[in-house]
Amino acid sequence: MANRSGPQRPNGTAQAKICQFKLVLLGESAVGKSSLVLRFVKGQFHEFQESTIGAAFLTQTVCVDDTTVKFEIWDTAGQERYHSLAPMYYRGAQAAIVVYDVTNQDTFGRAKTWVKELQRQASPNIVIALAGNKADLANKRSVELEEAQAYAEENQLLFMETSAKTAKNVNEVFLAIAKKLPKNDQNVNPSVPVNITAWLTICVLRAGHF
Amino acid sequence: MNEEDLVQRAADERAAIVAKYRHGRREGAEIYDWEEQTFEVYHSLDRYGFIHDTNKHPSEERITEHQTPNELKIDREREKKWLKMTTPPSAFYTTAPDKLRRRVFKGIPDSLRGKAWKLILEIDKEKTAGKYQEMRDLAMKWSSEIRQIDLDVNRTYRDHIMFRERYNSKQQELFNVLSAYSMYNSEIGYCQGMSQIAALLLMYLDEEDAFWALSILIAKSKYNMHGFYIPGFPKLLRYQEHHDKIMHKFLPKLKKHLDKNGVDTGIYTLKWFFQCFLDRIPFRLTLRVWDVYLFIGERILTAMAYNLLKIHRRKLISLGMDDILQFLQVRLERKFEVDDDVAMESLGKCLEELRKSKLDYPGPPPQQELPKRKFGTFKEPPFEQKVGRRSMEFSRMEQSTRESVASRRDAAMAAALTAESPTEEEPSAPNGHARHSHDESSALPGASTTTRVNSPTEEAFSGRDDTFSYYLNTTGSKFSLEQGSMDGDGSSLLGDGSRRSLAETSITSTADLSVFSSAPRSQAADSHSICEEDTDQEDGGGTHTPTPTPRSPDVLRIYVPYESPSPPAMPLTPTSTTNGDILRRPPTSLDNKIRILVMDHTPPGNAPEDNTPLVELASSPFSPIVDLK
Repeated sequence: MANRSGPQRPNGTAQAKICQFKLVLLGESAVGKSSLVLRFVKGQFHEFQESTIGAAFLTQTVCVDDTTVKFEIWDTAGQERYHSLAPMYYRGAQAAIVVYDVTNQDTFGRAKTWVKELQRQASPNIVIALAGNKADLANKRSVELEEAQAYAEENQLLFMETSAKTAKNVNEVFLAIAKKLPKNDQNVNPSVPVNITAWLTICVLRAGHF
Repeated sequence: MNEEDLVQRAADERAAIVAKYRHGRREGAEIYDWEEQTFEVYHSLDRYGFIHDTNKHPSEERITEHQTPNELKIDREREKKWLKMTTPPSAFYTTAPDKLRRRVFKGIPDSLRGKAWKLILEIDKEKTAGKYQEMRDLAMKWSSEIRQIDLDVNRTYRDHIMFRERYNSKQQELFNVLSAYSMYNSEIGYCQGMSQIAALLLMYLDEEDAFWALSILIAKSKYNMHGFYIPGFPKLLRYQEHHDKIMHKFLPKLKKHLDKNGVDTGIYTLKWFFQCFLDRIPFRLTLRVWDVYLFIGERILTAMAYNLLKIHRRKLISLGMDDILQFLQVRLERKFEVDDDVAMESLGKCLEELRKSKLDYPGPPPQQELPKRKFGTFKEPPFEQKVGRRSMEFSRMEQSTRESVASRRDAAMAAALTAESPTEEEPSAPNGHARHSHDESSALPGASTTTRVNSPTEEAFSGRDDTFSYYLNTTGSKFSLEQGSMDGDGSSLLGDGSRRSLAETSITSTADLSVFSSAPRSQAADSHSICEEDTDQEDGGGTHTPTPTPRSPDVLRIYVPYESPSPPAMPLTPTSTTNGDILRRPPTSLDNKIRILVMDHTPPGNAPEDNTPLVELASSPFSPIVDLK
């Protein structure tokens, strides 16, 4: 969505700058996407966080220097089958957190697939963070910190190991994203969301069905 | 790891999970601390079995009010009637249909709900002796969905007394039912969302009946949930398109408001349709909706979605994006505001209203939504599936869904963006005006493109303009383009509401495709006034005069709201700031539109813009998209 600067007051004094960013969480089922969001937005943790069907939407605001950053968070379903709906949520997103479970190597592999997909399909300037969640279960770890770190560096991702349960690095990962997101006036207006050629193509292709 | 090891690993994992459920909670059960509930039990247990932890802030939990003494009295009266109806020799279906329907709408007494559901679903007819046990046993050896099912059983209604304890008997049943079904219907396997449905059924039915109830909901033509859960979710997209159509016709203002806020149908209707409103409205009301859903069938999904938005339209129209979603996702589940009986009565009326407009039913499922494999036949899963490896490629259906949701989302965002600036400048502008300014604000000189398209037959387009525009507008997924459910005739969409719905489409969506026919091409730029004048009346409440639909179209217009990539400070168009007086735009404001000229059997050389790209159209005649039976 649009990140816009605060409205001018009638007397001409500008309010603090408010930027609004759309952020999407992606990752394998049960890695803790909803739990990370719940921790960040409400400071809570539920052991039995119900599975997300489709997606859930929440917002949270953080302050970075002189700017208020409002996150519009799309928390998505993890099951493979819902993958085909993912573009609905990451389209137009300025930031993404790709989550894996440090105790499960398969989820890390899945996270890499998500990163690739975002690099190909999402906005070119999207800020991606990789979060290795369930860091409190480090004794059952199967993804080494160094391995994930190396991967993140290679792909220029922000990276942190997090724990929604203990709150470790949860706010930090969102803050790091907020800092990295461009907040200058050039970015206040959103880029063109609809590629005009693409639209034309879509329309014409559809017309072809008639 | 080599292939054998991988298969072995998956088999071991499955066996370990299965063993845990078989063992249950007996001594020696291996249960991690975090898997156990630590609720302060019986603090408060509502009449449906949900546990309310008084330590939690009241706003945090689902609210299921207790019955008032008066309600209790009514319930007792109803119980008597239902007991009589559901006890042999009184055959359930010999009760007069009208009476039965009335009683179902009033709510089945909770104590007899299980019995009634079983009769309504005709579970005994569907049951094949021994089949469930066979499927369950096969699943424990073969199902590749065990892992996901286990993950979800561990987090399905854990705040309900039945499912509270890890590996207790109800969790075992839930695990068994879902596993067995994943074997029984291998096209679905297991899809997230099914666990809550199975759990709801298990609250009222025994294990085997719950399995057959699930099977009936998924496969029987009355419910046809199969199309919701198969990869690509074709039925979901079809229902969402239909929902849009209803919104355009009956709640245009709200629809515009939602569009303006980027709240696309795809976002908020998913759980409504997938799970028939579970966890989106209070549990007590959910049960009432389920009563009628089981009784009437899938039309309830459409009608309840409309009903819900209609009831809350004033509230919703006063909210911004965040609050709209918060309201629909969370608030309504806690407090529906409207009394259950009122909501149900309204649902009945909505159903009738939609039926009169032939919009109560999105039509029979097209081929791709129907099961292809015979249920309950065992086939050894392929290697990839056995080891739970992700397919790297999307199926055709999934690919189509991806494209569809992506373009739909783009359209929603574009609509929100273009609607944004004028309404901020002119908050008091009526919706009709805001819409026009939407077009205005996106006007940009020099962004015009013209494409020529060979036309299908004359008849194909005549009188079908709104249908056609709807097609493009709703992202035209592959599914909706296929024949099958779509061979009704579009006439009832036309007539009084036709121009109106066209006009609405043109503004509330990004791609408007209107077809003009008899007007000479040179008038194409002016002909937009036809729909503009109509939109002017759009909020006038039924005083709308339909414009005769011209035959033989030769121009399609596609509006593409387009924001300038140049500095945003540049005023997009000066007229957008003038107070509402933007209805009669100069033709130059079409500059940002892509125009597709449809040449009706005209050789390309005769066209004025013959240097534009030529796009071939399929030679088949255009057929209407809606089944209006």
